[in-house]
This record gives sequence, C-alpha cells and structure tokens, in this order.
Amino acid sequence: MTAADASPAPAPASAAQPAPAAVPSLTVRARDAVACEWTKFRSVRSTFWTLLVAVVTPVGFSAIVAVAISNQPAGAAPVDPLLPGFASLEYAVLAVSVLGVLGFSTEYSTGLIRTTFAAMPRRRVVLAAKAAVLGTVTLVAGELVAFASFFLAQAILSGHHLGLSLSTPGVAGAVLAEGLLLFVVAMLGLALGAIVRHTAGGIAAVVGLIFLPAIAGLLPAPWGGRVGRFTLLEAAHQVTALHPAANLFSPALSLLVLLAWPAAALLIAALAITRRDA
Amino acid sequence: MIEVDRLTKRFGPVTAVDGLSFTVRPGHVTGFLGPNGAGKTTTMRLILGLDAPTSGTAQVNQKRYAELVRPLHQVGALLDATALAGGRTAWAHVASIAQSNGIGRRRVTEMLRLTGLEAVAGRRVGSFSLGMKQRLGIAVALLGDPPVLMFDEPVNGLDTEGIAWIRQFFKALAADGRTVLVSSHLMSEMAQTADHLIVIGRGRLLADVPTATLIESSTRRDVLVRSPRADELAGLMAARGATVTREDDGGLAVTGLDAPAIGDLAASRGIAVHALIPRSASLEDAYLDLTGESVEYRAPSQDGVPSR
Repeated sequence: MTAADASPAPAPASAAQPAPAAVPSLTVRARDAVACEWTKFRSVRSTFWTLLVAVVTPVGFSAIVAVAISNQPAGAAPVDPLLPGFASLEYAVLAVSVLGVLGFSTEYSTGLIRTTFAAMPRRRVVLAAKAAVLGTVTLVAGELVAFASFFLAQAILSGHHLGLSLSTPGVAGAVLAEGLLLFVVAMLGLALGAIVRHTAGGIAAVVGLIFLPAIAGLLPAPWGGRVGRFTLLEAAHQVTALHPAANLFSPALSLLVLLAWPAAALLIAALAITRRDA
Repeated sequence: MIEVDRLTKRFGPVTAVDGLSFTVRPGHVTGFLGPNGAGKTTTMRLILGLDAPTSGTAQVNQKRYAELVRPLHQVGALLDATALAGGRTAWAHVASIAQSNGIGRRRVTEMLRLTGLEAVAGRRVGSFSLGMKQRLGIAVALLGDPPVLMFDEPVNGLDTEGIAWIRQFFKALAADGRTVLVSSHLMSEMAQTADHLIVIGRGRLLADVPTATLIESSTRRDVLVRSPRADELAGLMAARGATVTREDDGGLAVTGLDAPAIGDLAASRGIAVHALIPRSASLEDAYLDLTGESVEYRAPSQDGVPSR
C-alpha cells in the first residue's frame, strides 16, 4: 500500500474553504440526479435479466396465444384479436413491477440509501430521478413489446383471416395503451419499494395490488363491474380492448384509473421517504 | 466545522442522543468516543440529515445539512462501509455517487487510485473484503474534496497495515485544514489518532478535551500498600507529605511517596508490609472511569457486582 505517501486529496482547490462554484441551477441538479440513477440502474445485472424476461416472454407468448386462437374450431365464440398481446403482457407485468420494487428496496436493505440521501438530501429529487430513469426504460420496453407482439400475433392470425392492421380504427391506440401498462406497474412497484422498504414485502405488496383486486370481477352482476372498473387490470383491459366492455368505465376514464394507481402510490412514497428517518 | 447544539433524538421510549452539544473544529482529528450504543452513529446520522432530531440542531459550516447544495463538496462521510449493492462494480458505485454531485470521471479514478482500489475498479463490490469496502467508502467520502469529513468506526476490518495507513491519512487531512471526526469505541485507537476527544455515553456528553489533557489526568500513579499496622503506617506516610487514601478492602492507595521510600520507612519502624505494589492507571482506565456509569449493555462480573 503506497497510498499513504500520497497527499490525501490531490485536488486543485484548497481544502480549508468550502466549495466555491456558483450554486448550480435546479435543472443541472436534476440532471445530476438522473445521471446518478441511470448509472445505478444499468450497473446491476438484475436490470438486464428482468428486462430480458419482460421483453422476450410476452412476445413469444403472444405468438403461442395467436396460434391457439387461429386453431379454434370455426363455430367458437369470436375472440378479441388483440388478446394475444394483452394476455402475454401479464408475465412482463410481474417482472417489471419487481424491477420497480428493487429500485428502492435494495437500497434500503443494503443501507445504500443513506449514501444516496447524504449525496442528495432532497429526497423527492431522488424519487423523481429514479422514476424518470425507470419510467423511460419501461415505457420504451413496453411499447417495444406491445408492437412486437402485435405484429407477430397478427402475422399468425392474418393467415386465418383474423388479422388486423394498425390502421383499423382503435387498434393503434389500444396497442399504445398496452405498452403503457409496463410503465404503470413499474411506477407502482417503485413507489411500493420506497414505502415498504423490503424487497420481499414490496413484491408481495405490488403483486397483491395488481392481481388481488381481480377478485372484484367475481362479485355478483352489477357489482363485479362497479367495483372491478377501479382495479388496475380491468382498467388496463378496458384501455387495450378493441371492443370495450359495457359494464366498465369508458376507455378514456379507464386510462385515468390506470394512471391514478401509480400516481397515488408515488405521492404516498414521496411523503413517506421525506418524513421517515433513512 | 461541525456544530451540534442541544441535540436530542428519541426512538420511542429510548433516548439515543440526549441534549448533546459540541463543536468539531478544523485542523484537528477529533475522536468521537463512546461505548457501543452510546449514540455515536445516531449523532452522525443526525448531522447528515438522515434522521430528524427530536429537538436541537446540527450544523455543518453554519448550515443544516438539508440546506446544502451538492453536499459532497461540503461533507464527506463514511457511515457503514458494507452498505453497498454487491452486484455493482467499484467503479460504477463511486461514479454514480460522483454524478449525483456533478463530480467528473477523472476525480473518480483519482480517488480509487488514492485508496489503492484502481486495480479492482472493475470488480463487483460484493467480492470485496471488509478492508477494501472501507477503502471504497473513503474514496466516496473524498470525492467532493470536502472540508468536513466524518468516519464511523473506520478501522473495523482493517489489517495492521491498513490501520497505520488510515491514521496517517486522517492526520494528513487534518493538517490540510479539514475538520475530521472519527468515531470509535476503542480508546487505545483514538489515543494514537486523535488530538481532541469528544466522549459520550448514553447519548450524553462526558468529556470534550484535548487528548493530551486526558492522558495527563489519567496517568496518575500510586502505590498500593497492605500492612497489619496500616493506620500507623498511614500516619507516618502522611507526615512525610504523602496523600493516603484508604480503599474498601483495607489497602492504602499512596501518592507522593514511591514504593522504595515507603518500604524503607516501614522497615525503619519495624512495620511489616504485606504488599507494596506500584500502580499506574492507563488511558483505557480513564476512559472506563468516564464511561463506566454509562455503558448500556454490560456483562455482569463474576460475583454479580458490576465491575469497574
């Protein structure tokens, strides 16, 4: 170890005075925070593997569903031609919501969050930066998955005269909305990771919030729809369906419901991380 | 400069920090001493704005930590060297933190070189030894070239060579005009590193003194004398200017006369001496005296009486 010979801080500035430099603008500080979180995000292996699962599984699965639909006997009930894309997304939903949880829970469980908050005492900036990084990546990945699944499934279905094209009214919007779902659950996961602060608990919470309310759909006649329309998955289903169900909210309102879930969770997370000791 | 003013932190019924006030000045290595559970780490967290105080204030360079912009340029801290995401490389870990405060890549490389980690910069930190993690934490603390530095138990996990390195390091930082606060529960360690000591126990300030003063006050020597005619001998010694204190078990603690003088005196009067033991209190004893009342968790001594 020869470092002891070196001067401790080979920096140009003299140590005794506090850092000079003009106060950087809020824009600069926000950019710093995003740069930091982006480096963190791409420098752990779990990010790569989760995204791989999130992208490859649904595209492959939608092809399988498409084949299954195209093999249906002639007299079977008509199926929403967009179903393959949506049905296969549930695997990606699971993977991406976990990725969201990990964004905060690993920092809390390792104690790294203290280094993070010491470097960036404005904790909401940290939350916003994490959300910006994860949100951008999952939005891009989500749309990629949605359109790839769509084209693959329609290529299979078109051979059986069931195919649709993007120019069919309502189709482009539905596929776009499908891509949005991964972004929505990623944000929900991120918020719950910050609120719960443990990986296992965070995953349980996010999976519970996404999938458990589906039970509402099993309620007797009017209530299944009245309650179900507020659930995340029913709202997502409604937004991405070519023929929206009549007993749920309109697609536009359902989109609001869909976005309200992560928005509310992020709001609670913002309150929680600033009020609690790190 | 770090200023802590009547700082109090309660966790439910437990008062971790209790009306603590002290100032840490630049140009010195200040040791922050106390038994385990005394509140050292909590105090440091309060200074860093990680925990909110129940009452009182902690300021760094005349500002609350939360008010600092790009705080790594003001304060560098190492609280827990093992608080790392194990899957990340050393480079990515340090670089991400550097980016958060607008610090460039060159500085990241410099700090990794300074702490001797340049060769392992591409390795995942999960494979690092505790000593390497400590060095990594020091690299992070120094990123912003801050005038104030805080280290919580930094010698844990370091080998002898590493400890010698880190001592030199702290002294060099202080000589550079920086404020350096280093916590430890080991008096012997601090005696060699710090030139000022802040001692706390159960969250309260016990001492805030230069190390030299504490050493001076603690290196008093005395002689333990046992004799069947202790009273008579005590009188004789007192007449020669000695200070004699009677201990609980009948022994006499004598200062002002050394052992040969006491032996000669006793012999000249034909007084039998059963024990004549020169004693010197170590710095460790002084520390135990200070903190003895305030240790939170203590193993009972063998006869059930708390030992001192």
